[in-house]
Amino acid sequence: MDPIIQVKNFTKRYGDFVAVNDISFDVEEGSIFAFLGPNGAGKSTTINTLCTIFEKTSGSLLIDGKDVTVQKGEVRSTIGVVFQDSTLDAKMTIEENLKMHCVFYNIPKREVEERIQFVLKLVDLVAERKKLVAALSGGMKRRVEIARGLIHYPKVLFLDEPTTGLDPQTRAHIWEYIIKLQKERNITIFLTTHYMEEAEICSKVAIIDGGVIVAHDTPYALKKKYTRDKAYISTKNEAALERLLTEHDLNFIKKDGYYRVEAEYLAGLLEVLSIHKEYVTNIEIKKGTFNDVFLEITGKKIREDT
Amino acid sequence: MNTVFALWKRGLKAFVRNKTGLVLSLIFPFFFVYVFGAIFKNDFIEDPISYMLSGVIITTVFESALNLASSTVDDMVSGFMKEVLVSPAKRIAVAMGQLLSAATVSTLQGVLILAVGLLTGIKFTSWTTPLYILISMIFIGIAFSGAGLFMATKVRNGQTFQIVKTAVTMPLTFLSGAYIPLSMLPDTLRFVAYMNPMTYATAFFRMIVLEKTNLSITELKNEGLVVDINGFIVTPLMTFAIILTIGLVFLLLSTNSFVKTDFSRLNRSATDANELWG
Repeated sequence: MDPIIQVKNFTKRYGDFVAVNDISFDVEEGSIFAFLGPNGAGKSTTINTLCTIFEKTSGSLLIDGKDVTVQKGEVRSTIGVVFQDSTLDAKMTIEENLKMHCVFYNIPKREVEERIQFVLKLVDLVAERKKLVAALSGGMKRRVEIARGLIHYPKVLFLDEPTTGLDPQTRAHIWEYIIKLQKERNITIFLTTHYMEEAEICSKVAIIDGGVIVAHDTPYALKKKYTRDKAYISTKNEAALERLLTEHDLNFIKKDGYYRVEAEYLAGLLEVLSIHKEYVTNIEIKKGTFNDVFLEITGKKIREDT
Repeated sequence: MNTVFALWKRGLKAFVRNKTGLVLSLIFPFFFVYVFGAIFKNDFIEDPISYMLSGVIITTVFESALNLASSTVDDMVSGFMKEVLVSPAKRIAVAMGQLLSAATVSTLQGVLILAVGLLTGIKFTSWTTPLYILISMIFIGIAFSGAGLFMATKVRNGQTFQIVKTAVTMPLTFLSGAYIPLSMLPDTLRFVAYMNPMTYATAFFRMIVLEKTNLSITELKNEGLVVDINGFIVTPLMTFAIILTIGLVFLLLSTNSFVKTDFSRLNRSATDANELWG
C-alpha cells in the first residue's frame, strides 16, 4: 500500500528566504510521525502546506494520493488539524463548537449526536459538553480541539505542537489520547514537537533543521546511531579502576570524582567491571536520550521553552 | 447552505448572549435622542424626538452592521477563521453567513430601539410605515455589513484595528446628518458628508420614519430630508439608487476579498500600526 503522506522535493521560499529546502519523506498509514526541530526550522511551514493553508514553491505533496495544492477540498475532508494556537470559538460551548464543525465537514445530521458522544468520551469531556469554551482550562481546550479534529473521522490528524504550554500531567493525558486513537482507529498522526521525550513515543521521527531534514528514522534507530549509553562510576581505588578500563580499551573522562564511560554495549562494560567488583563503590547508568540525538545531529540544544 | 445557516445562528446567539452589550446598545441611543433632541429644539425641526430617533436608529444599524468588521477580526485573532479555512466549507458560504447574521443583528437592534421609541411617543399614521422601516433596515444592514466585512479582510493587525475602526466610523456617523442636520455643518465638513454613504441612507430612512414620502421635493428640501449639494437636489429615487449601488459594490468587494484573503497572514500580536493594513 502507498504511504498515506508522500512529500517529494518540497521547497518553500518567502522572497529570498528559504524556509523549507527540498525535503522528501513518506508517512505510513496508521503510524505516529513526529517532526522534530527548533523554532523556525520549517516545521510549521511544512505542516501548514500539508494542511492546504500555504502554497508550495515547488515539489509535490500528496495525502491519500491527493495533491494538497490542487485537490484542496478533498484533502481538507481527509484531514483533521489541531493548530498550535487555539482555533476554538470561545464564545460558544463545546457542543456548539463540535456541531459547527460537523456543518463545515458535511456530516449527515443523524450521525452528529453519535459522533459528538464518541469524541467527547475519547477525551473525557462528556460532562463538560455544555460549558463555554472560554471557561475551560488550557488542557481542556486542547482536548476539545483534538475531539473536534476527529469528529469527521479523518484519515490523518495533524497536531502542531499539541502539548506546548501544558503542564506535565495534562501532556501525559494528551499522549494517552493520541496513542489510544492511533491504536483503536488506525488514524495516521502527524505531529510536530520540540519535546524530545515525546519524539521517542512515535513510530518515525524526522529531524528538521534550517529547512532540511537532517535525520529520518525510528526513534530507536536514531538513538542507536547517534547516542551512547553512559555509565558514571565512582571508586575508592582510582588507579586500579583506570588501569582496568584502559586494559579493556574503554575511554573514560574523570570529572567531579566520577568516571564517565561511554559504551556502545553497556553489558560489555558491566562484565569488565564485574571482574573487579571491589573497585566500584557506585555505578549509575544513563541511557542515551533524544536530546543527545538532537545535539549530535544539529550541534545545538533544542529550546525547551516557548 | 447549512454553513450559511449555522454561521447566521452563531451570530444571533452571540448577540443574544451578550446581555450587557444589549442593554448598553439601548441606553446609548436614547441618551443621544434626548441630548440632541433638546439641542435642536427649534422651528427648523417640527418633531425633534422623532427626527433624532430616526437618526439614532439608522446609526445603530450602521454601527451594528459595521461591527461585522470587529467580529470577523475577532474570529481571525481567536483562530476561528483558521478552523474555517482548513475545513471543506465553501468560503463564499462563510461570507454569506457572516453578512446575513450581521444584517439580522443590526436590524434587530434597530427594531429594539424603534420599539422603545414607540413607547416613548413616536407614532405612525400608516400601517405600512413599520414595514417600510423594517425593509430599509434590512437593506441598509446588508449593505453596511458588506462594508464591514470588506474592512475586516484588509486588516493585518487585530490590536490596532479597533482604534482605527472607531476613528473612521465615529466621524462618518456624525457627518451623516443623523445627529446634526447637514445645513448646520461648515462647508468643508458638509463636503465630507456628501461623500459619506451614510448621509444618503440617513436621509432616505428619515423620510420613511417621518412618513414624508409623499411630500414634494421642495417640501422635503425645506424639512432637510433630501441631500442638497449646493442647489443640486438628490431626489429620493436617486438616493435609493445610490444606496443600492453602494450596497452592491460593498457586497461584491467583500465576498470577493473574503474568498481570496489569506487569513493566516493576520499578525496576531504585532503592535506596529504600520502593519495594520497590508
